[in-house]
Amino acid sequence: MGCYNKIASAVIGRGIGLPSIESVLNVKKTKSRMYKRNILKEHALAYVFLAPSMILFIMFLFYPMLKSVYLSMTITDPRGQVAEFVWFENFAALFKSHQLYSNLSVTLMFILYTVPTSLIWSLFLAAITHNKLRGMKIFQFIFSLPIVISVGTGSIIWFLLFHPTAGMLNYFLSLVHIGPIPWLTDPAWALMSISLMTIWMNMGFLYIVLSSGLQGIPEELYESAKIDGSGPVRTFMRIVLPLLSPTIFFALIVSVIGAFQAFGQIHILTRGGPINSTNVIVYSIYQDAFVNFRFGIGSAQALILFVIILLLTVLQFKVLEKKVHYQ
Amino acid sequence: MGKKKLASLLLASVMLLLSACSVNMGGDEPKASEPKTSGTEVKAGAQKVVFWHAMGGATTKVVDQLVDNFNKSQDKIQVEAVYQGTYDDLLSKLKASMGTNEGPTVVQMYEIGSRFMIDSKLIAPMQNFIDQDGWDVGQLEPNISGYYTFDNKLYSMPFNTSNPILYYNKDLFKDAGLDPESPPKTFEELKAAADTISKKGKAVGANFAIYGWFMEQLFANQGAEYVNNGNGRDSLATESLLNSEAGVKVMTWWKDLIDSKAANNLGRKTDDSKKAFSAGQVAMILDSTAALKGLVDGTAGKFEVGTGFLPKPADAKEGGVIVGGASLWMMNNRPDEEQKAAWEFIKFVTSPEQQAFWHINTGYFPITLKAYDQDSVKENLKKFPQFQTAVDQLHNTKLNKATQGAVMGVFPEARQIVEGAIEEVLNNKKAPQAALDDAAKEITSKIQEYNRTVK
Repeated sequence: MGCYNKIASAVIGRGIGLPSIESVLNVKKTKSRMYKRNILKEHALAYVFLAPSMILFIMFLFYPMLKSVYLSMTITDPRGQVAEFVWFENFAALFKSHQLYSNLSVTLMFILYTVPTSLIWSLFLAAITHNKLRGMKIFQFIFSLPIVISVGTGSIIWFLLFHPTAGMLNYFLSLVHIGPIPWLTDPAWALMSISLMTIWMNMGFLYIVLSSGLQGIPEELYESAKIDGSGPVRTFMRIVLPLLSPTIFFALIVSVIGAFQAFGQIHILTRGGPINSTNVIVYSIYQDAFVNFRFGIGSAQALILFVIILLLTVLQFKVLEKKVHYQ
Repeated sequence: MGKKKLASLLLASVMLLLSACSVNMGGDEPKASEPKTSGTEVKAGAQKVVFWHAMGGATTKVVDQLVDNFNKSQDKIQVEAVYQGTYDDLLSKLKASMGTNEGPTVVQMYEIGSRFMIDSKLIAPMQNFIDQDGWDVGQLEPNISGYYTFDNKLYSMPFNTSNPILYYNKDLFKDAGLDPESPPKTFEELKAAADTISKKGKAVGANFAIYGWFMEQLFANQGAEYVNNGNGRDSLATESLLNSEAGVKVMTWWKDLIDSKAANNLGRKTDDSKKAFSAGQVAMILDSTAALKGLVDGTAGKFEVGTGFLPKPADAKEGGVIVGGASLWMMNNRPDEEQKAAWEFIKFVTSPEQQAFWHINTGYFPITLKAYDQDSVKENLKKFPQFQTAVDQLHNTKLNKATQGAVMGVFPEARQIVEGAIEEVLNNKKAPQAALDDAAKEITSKIQEYNRTVK
């Protein structure tokens, strides 16, 4: 939210479209009435322009939100129609069952496995391909490739790699005399395997974002650092990282929210199993609401997830943004 | 220029790689985003009937052929078949369409969706049409129609029926010094055979996919009921019996197989189990009869596939197998004319000729007894003698509440819970009794929640 304020103040500071306060105070009364009418007109115009997005927001955001608040307090029959209004019974049942906590901890583990690793890995790749050496374009192309692959396609590629008997990964392991790993069938491995695949999927987007962030750092800074006798590691830690921090911060927020919403790979690769070891909260919502048609408990979980993401995002902005350096 | 060439080369190689990934992803998960329809030439003034089904892969073509046969056989009715994805997808789509006019006239529904279909109050029992028409129910295989009969009324028309059998690799049996002509019949014999093969080191003795359906079948094979109130057939089930003796026996045996390395665990997908069997990596698997043709064709020239009955504990009570598969349901929100037309279509696909065609091309049982008299079926049995096992197993089954099959509204969900419990046992997370107790408790609470919403 801080960054939005900054953008807003920058726009206002340049005085685009709006007369400055001094000029308003200096004009005569008749002019000020006209000005008021103008303002009214402008406001009306603004609302006309806002209307399409407002309508879309109401249709696809606010109405569903209210509806899910209502649904979270009902139980539905097998056809998904409201059978009874039960107030907070669903929430009570959720907080009492161990399933919710297990799903939340799986989600948390998934975030811990994927977000830092994807960020560091992509930053590493971006940093080593930043040098303008011959043939670097090929690596840049390869590292950003996963962005063009949909989650569905990516999951199927990895499904084949992970396959217990026909999979390539186990084949490569057998070449170095390591026994087959039960990638997706052992609860100890499944979340790790899904994370591995997700890190690869994230790589494309993060690599592009971080690379362009690196390109935004002026060349002169490197040169003067070099003249001052700073080595590559020191230059990176002291100059590049602080200048890149807004980009990293953006990438972090987007990855955390993305990790919370991971669904496709889990649906295709493990369906939440084995023994719920990959049953993240989004998948559990899908199961309850759209497979078993219990919209009540599904909506209740969705609201809990909403509150968690909201709190985490606010927290990230409040705490981490202080460390971010805007030029 | 060099760069461009390289980039296009790279792109081409990536595409080649992707196109090479067209390995079969499993018969239980046919990937098709657009519903396929058949019988496109519309006849003038014909009554339209919409038929939703879940027969993916190669079976889609067979269904389309059946529909085409019907459309060509007369000119008053035009059936449009729409493929809707897996059984689960089909059920979700049907639920979403209920209460609108967009839905089908006739819908195929898997056996475990039966209770839901009745409770939805949106279907017309097949018995109504049978009575009006004086159609003879006796021509149906009694063990099959038994599943879909509630309160002496046939609620839906059986369509595709299968049951689980034991597939084994005769070459591996011979190799381990076992008699390739006598497959193990009991849990104990299977364990001994699997041990011998595993110790020989060429392959793993057995593999069973973690599939809730097998648990249901192994219960029935011991004559045990899966839910209370006469397997949910006397009145609505209120309690799961998963943690009874029969269940513990199955889980103890299965875990012992895994622990002693006589069997391995390849996860929930029957397709992975089938793949390992075809590759000669495991000697015995359990799978549906519907997999027979694919397995025999797929292993031709590599080894000989044998088939045996579903095993049971040596001291088990008399039991048998439950029919799996799906049946055809008539929706009641359509005009009478359209329902009558749909009934004509249902009669057509259950005729001996069409059932014989269906049976030969898919591996599902013919649902009508007369189909076995067709020459094509006799020839097919000669060509695939393995199929006789499934037919015998079906005919040997005594129809009682256990083998008639359990009914509960939350069956699809219960199946997932059971699969979770099996995983907990096989991965040493819980002892058989504890895992089944917990799962039974969970299923019971889901059943009671369901019963609360249907009145």
